[in-house]
Amino acid sequence: MNRNKKWLQMYGWLALVISAGFFTLQIGYLFVSERYNVEYVDDRLFYLINIVCVLFLALAFLLLVSLTNKLKLIGGSMLFVFIAVHLFMLVSGNQKVNNITSISPDWKNVLSIKEQTEEGKAFYYREYYGILARPMEKLPHQTDGNFKVEWLADDIAAVTYETKDDKVQQFIGTYGDRGGGISYYYVGAEIQGRWQGDGVAVESGPEGITVMENGESEHFAWEETQQFGTLAIVLMKNDEAIWTISLDENFEVHPEASHPTVGTIKIYEATMEENEPVTLEYSGAYEG
Amino acid sequence: MGKFLLGLSSAVMIILMTIAIFYYQSESVPLGNVVSSTEETEQPVDEQESGNEGEDSLPSQTIQPVEPYEEITYSLQDDELHITFNQGMDWTQVPLEIDQLFSGEYSGSRHTLIEDSYVLTENLAAFLYAERENGSQEQIMLIHSTDQGETWEESVVTDQYSVMRFRKVDFLNDQFGYVIISVGRTMSQESSHVFLTHDGGRSWEETTNSGVTRLIHDGGFVDETTGFLSFGIINPEAPDLHVTQDGGETWSEAAVNIPEEYKHIFVQAETPVKEDGHLSVLVNQGPSGDYQGGLIKGKFISTDNGMTWEFEKEVDPDESE
Repeated sequence: MNRNKKWLQMYGWLALVISAGFFTLQIGYLFVSERYNVEYVDDRLFYLINIVCVLFLALAFLLLVSLTNKLKLIGGSMLFVFIAVHLFMLVSGNQKVNNITSISPDWKNVLSIKEQTEEGKAFYYREYYGILARPMEKLPHQTDGNFKVEWLADDIAAVTYETKDDKVQQFIGTYGDRGGGISYYYVGAEIQGRWQGDGVAVESGPEGITVMENGESEHFAWEETQQFGTLAIVLMKNDEAIWTISLDENFEVHPEASHPTVGTIKIYEATMEENEPVTLEYSGAYEG
Repeated sequence: MGKFLLGLSSAVMIILMTIAIFYYQSESVPLGNVVSSTEETEQPVDEQESGNEGEDSLPSQTIQPVEPYEEITYSLQDDELHITFNQGMDWTQVPLEIDQLFSGEYSGSRHTLIEDSYVLTENLAAFLYAERENGSQEQIMLIHSTDQGETWEESVVTDQYSVMRFRKVDFLNDQFGYVIISVGRTMSQESSHVFLTHDGGRSWEETTNSGVTRLIHDGGFVDETTGFLSFGIINPEAPDLHVTQDGGETWSEAAVNIPEEYKHIFVQAETPVKEDGHLSVLVNQGPSGDYQGGLIKGKFISTDNGMTWEFEKEVDPDESE
């Protein structure tokens, strides 16, 4: 019995320490966010951490102190009100600032976009230390609140979204490169040649990129492409995204054109409907 | 105990609730002042002429450093280069156009400066850039300040060069510095050049050319007379390290003695450094190395000022940094 009580006491103190840790994190966040202009990678984290902090505090209370029924009722009510108010602020806050957060398949990168829903302005955030982020770039179109995220590789996130004027756009968050010691290159030039995938073929040459699907082909001049980082290129027509082509992790970048192409690429259609990227294999040199 | 916990809990809940309400209210203010690179040119003329900063523009007080936790850092926000020496409390604009910093054969991120193309310390801010002269010719320039950006001095490193690929600038003391560039790349050949200054960057003199036309990987000087150039970035098979021991008058190939078991594994020499009475260099596995994950490097030691190198040990990536 005494032994059980000792364990409960120990768990109680542990819960108190964890609660104190979360409390310190929140106070530290207030200081750091003000001083260094950083935010949580997802605004909702703030409320969730508060709730977890108070839950551990309540647990510590239960384990360390013998409570009367009256105190249990008061404490439980306070806890209920606290959590209810926080959940309200979490949901309501997310209606004002829509958080689009996605973690890469290898759990190493976090895509963070925050959209001011009323004004249709969305900002791409760069993540620091997993949970903090700073605004990096404003998405170039007025957004209408619908976003779709697909990780094309562990370090490439394709964000497809609709704009106020009913166009589909794609923004690509990139978190690495394929250059090894060589840090700069054009994606379009690196994928020069013919590529074949399941139902889709791509040809990249000096004049631009041609995509062939279901017997139809569409050509994109270099002026109709937009590169993101050194990992992906978005093909545009009439100021609307049509495809994204990205370099897979096995793609090797070589500065000399004569080097054989190694690795695969992906092509991903810009549509708000559910769709999957298609992997393309190199099938030969550009033939013109 | 009970009273203590009760008081503590009440205080924590009140504080958390207060800051949550504060946080909730602050969520409704405009998020960060960040510009979309493709949107700037679409600004209506009357708005531009009014002189009002749109809410998406970047007022100087919101400049965001590239490295927010560094005392001395820079920002490339709003297509301007700013530097700070006190963690962003005060900013000084560097009188350069951003395009000049990224000129040449470069298509990487413009959110950060090209690695090794600048020096930013308490006593020296120096940026290597190119100024287009005519046609495809570029003038390679250095702008530097020794008073934390109050005054700037420009100097011509070299006149009339074609498109620059590799670039590196460094100073070993307040007088001696070096610039290494490569230009005119055609396939896997290019021309590499080394320039030295002995007057703090005011004037530059080219050293004798090493004559090597492979693509340069890295280079640097360990003192005013001893410098190195490391070549080979496309699937190198062995380190190709060249050394001068007379301030660039002559260059010769260093002998890097790779043990049999590490041949074709450690293939790309980095820049040597001085270390306890000898020189050491890390030799990495190149872009396609896969020995033990590809990040392990070989450490080599030279006791004859860089002419010959003997293997000492393997080092892991953390150790080598």
